Amino acid sequence: MSESVPFAPRGSETRMRIGLLRLTDSAPAIVAHEFGFFAEEGIDAELVTEPSWANIADKLAYGFLDAAVIVPPLAFAVELGLRGLRQPLIIPCGMSLGGNTVTLEKTLAAQVRASANRLAMPAAFAASLAGRATPLMLGIVHGFSTHNLLLRYWLASGGIDLSRDVKLVVVPPSRAVEALASGQIAGFCAGAPWGEVAVRAGVGATVATSDDIWRHAPEKAFAVRTRWADDNPDALAGAIRALLRAAQFCDAPENASYTAALLSRQKYLDTDSHAILSSLPGGAVTPQNLSRFWRNAATFPWRSQALWFLRQMARWNLVDPALDFPAIAGRVYRPDIYRAVAGPMGLSVPLADSKPEGGHDAAWQLEAAPTPIVMGPDRFCDGVVFDEIAVPASP
Amino acid sequence: MVLRILLIDTDGERARALEEKLSESGYAQIFRPEAGNLAAAVEQSRPDLIIIDMSLPDRDALEDIRAVAAANPIVMFAGTDDPAFAQEAIAAGVCSYNLSGVALSDVKPIMASAIALFQRYRHVETELAAARALLDERRQTERAKAILMKDRKMTEPEAYRWLQKKAMNESRKLSVIVAEFVAAHEAGKREIKP
Repeated sequence: MSESVPFAPRGSETRMRIGLLRLTDSAPAIVAHEFGFFAEEGIDAELVTEPSWANIADKLAYGFLDAAVIVPPLAFAVELGLRGLRQPLIIPCGMSLGGNTVTLEKTLAAQVRASANRLAMPAAFAASLAGRATPLMLGIVHGFSTHNLLLRYWLASGGIDLSRDVKLVVVPPSRAVEALASGQIAGFCAGAPWGEVAVRAGVGATVATSDDIWRHAPEKAFAVRTRWADDNPDALAGAIRALLRAAQFCDAPENASYTAALLSRQKYLDTDSHAILSSLPGGAVTPQNLSRFWRNAATFPWRSQALWFLRQMARWNLVDPALDFPAIAGRVYRPDIYRAVAGPMGLSVPLADSKPEGGHDAAWQLEAAPTPIVMGPDRFCDGVVFDEIAVPASP
Repeated sequence: MVLRILLIDTDGERARALEEKLSESGYAQIFRPEAGNLAAAVEQSRPDLIIIDMSLPDRDALEDIRAVAAANPIVMFAGTDDPAFAQEAIAAGVCSYNLSGVALSDVKPIMASAIALFQRYRHVETELAAARALLDERRQTERAKAILMKDRKMTEPEAYRWLQKKAMNESRKLSVIVAEFVAAHEAGKREIKP
């Protein structure tokens, strides 16, 4: 598949320290490492499993990591210096779509579900909050996370007042089950496998997934320090090739049980492989809460999606709305690099850097070279279409 | 002036050592909450400084508190003005949040003590982690051998040689071959069972 020499001569390897969290969607990086895809590209990859997003951000900022599997809003926070030291980053490829769940405490979930026969789920949730004296506590994994933005989008679409009806607090996913059981929170939004872990522990039930908020929503991205990328253009291309190969492997249903077993190992997710399996393509009992890695142009860094994240961050006062968002999206998201790498691999590559987000209720065809790409539905829960193609051409 | 310090560290021995050291100076009052609901711990103890073990997932919860306190912007590490100092702290695995705008000159010696202590413990931790990884790998190998001995009636040395040969033929690490083999076996078992 790749044109590189299978084994680079010793000593010429480029070291790349890649940070990741204990999440299903770290899969392509783990597979690329364990299968020797990075090694075949002459990359001495060191996978560092971090316990917190804060560590990922700080270690990127202070140069302890060269790259990371990251939630895009946090990449913008590091790029813009919104938390701690600023460090320029690029996102040359995406890592996954979907995979998050909104999981509520069991009794509350049953209540919300019962009224969801008549109402849309967010509206049913809003109805269950009527007459509460105190705001309902909901957990998110970080302020600068997709989870925070998606959950807020979903709640707001149901008419929930984010400043009054609910209070969002940060709870690390590995603590969410405990926090749910003790009543510290009434629900949480987190990535796989943590919703499933709460369900299996008998404390929670899932009322919505990423797909219910934004179908085929972009989730994790691969961020690289701009300085590292500039210094190591060949290794960067090699790393992208390795990740694209791994993404195809992780997306194949027949590989699900193997991938789950690999991810469950102590040095990676260190959790029940069955819970992981249920969030992988081919491993799910109900195909609703899946991380997807390859199909539907999952790895393409869409600038329109970068812009959506930035606009949502501004909506909730996480970033100065006066900043030039199209310029930031253009600087960080790099479809040009993706195309230069994926094209020669013989892979189909989208022709545009941006697209309207949210216009499709069903599968559709995207213009791509050499052959069109089948895309999944991309509807938002409120039916709004986000169409802001003011992004500059690739540098 | 006495600094109120919230010390969040799951290593009890290390936390006690640091508490002792900082208390000796007489300038610090130490609070050590249970892991879990840190927002409540911060609210209760109203610290000037938080010192936290970077191996805890709870750092993300502190980020939230940081964002809320708008009056006094919280400074991570002993100031981003001194990247080298912050780097040393990260390498040692300890992080600080300055909540009340205490002078950096007051915070730095405290953090220097924390860094030194974490460095000493880190060395032990690294050795422990390496031993654990080795043990994990051995356990997997034992499992793979047991499967081969049961299913294919191999002797133990034969089973080990079979795995080794597979690794050599495929130019992959033995640990990878072993993990793959065990996983494939377990997946197969699951399919047979209803």
